[in-house]
Amino acid sequence: MTATAAPDAVLVRRVLDGDVESYAVLVVRYRSRYVRFATHMLGSAEDAEEALQDAFVRAYRSLARCEDPERFGSWLFRILVNRCRTAGARRGRRERTIVHDEIALRDAAEDHPEESVAWREEIGRALERLPTEQREAFLMKHVEDLSYEEISAATGVGVSALKMRVKRACDRLRDQLREVYSARE
Amino acid sequence: MHESDEVIEHVAMTLRRERVGVSADFDARVMERVREEARQAAGTGVWRWMTRSRTVRVSPLAGLALAAGLAGVVALAARQGDSFRTVAPSRTVAIAPPDVPAQRMTEFMFVNPSASRVAIVGDFNDWDEGVSPMRRMSDGVWAITIPLAPGRYHYTFVVDGTTWVADPAAPPLKDDFGPPNSVITVGEATT
Repeated sequence: MTATAAPDAVLVRRVLDGDVESYAVLVVRYRSRYVRFATHMLGSAEDAEEALQDAFVRAYRSLARCEDPERFGSWLFRILVNRCRTAGARRGRRERTIVHDEIALRDAAEDHPEESVAWREEIGRALERLPTEQREAFLMKHVEDLSYEEISAATGVGVSALKMRVKRACDRLRDQLREVYSARE
Repeated sequence: MHESDEVIEHVAMTLRRERVGVSADFDARVMERVREEARQAAGTGVWRWMTRSRTVRVSPLAGLALAAGLAGVVALAARQGDSFRTVAPSRTVAIAPPDVPAQRMTEFMFVNPSASRVAIVGDFNDWDEGVSPMRRMSDGVWAITIPLAPGRYHYTFVVDGTTWVADPAAPPLKDDFGPPNSVITVGEATT
């Protein structure tokens, strides 16, 4: 079995047995999957990378306590969610610039001309105005496509409370974006 | 599709389509830190055993003598009657060599008579609820003592593995990011 095809549990076992380099496979496997969430949460590519890097290092440090290595990805995501919370809180009142990566914006506009940079910026501003727990729930549900059970496992919040957060987030986003959305057409 | 749902769907689609990647050297930077962690873990086993904070239980009289001898490295957190309770110096002592910042033995307390289990999660344990289960005391009081180096930590209590509860005894956390968190600032040990 090649390292890149090895299941998470096998890689975790190798790392715990002293093969540190196997951890690189896990890094490659999950960094692209999770950086989007961190970027949308923190509104900054730089902050997102820092949170993600921190999550990987903390996960490595605590790897022996990963109770279900087959679900390393979910465990890592939980750590990342908390790193994002900590990073967001630490940032305090520092201005958050929700859109962020000019290259990503440009690429998005080129790939999908109908998606204007201005529309994306409006989304960024609307996301920024959401209470953080609502933004977190909305992104996990509608962008990362997680089930409520998965979100509950990642956040420690009950399903009913999460549904309420997502609903409120959707209501606020509709209110803030309806006009801009209609004007695009 | 209803217009309002169409807006949300379009927002989600825009965000999902977005190309968000990491820097070219991201993997290398992570692995550099991971290898450093591995080196420290492998190379300092004995030193870590010698320097790690540990709780020593001694008699009150011996404790006073020991506390006097270790002035400067005794660190005790907290406020009586608050979530952080003073631990008697004769019973609990944090030990650290002179060049290692002393950790403060910080006792967290939480009242919930109906809980079947309570854990504390925070920056100090990677928000892993399996690391720091709290002990059930009398009258529904849950407690745990954790050695903390000077710094500022976010934390919360996890009740029955599902419900996050901010520390009711701690000041509300401004600019809280996400579910309820509390914050504790652990100062330098008094010398």
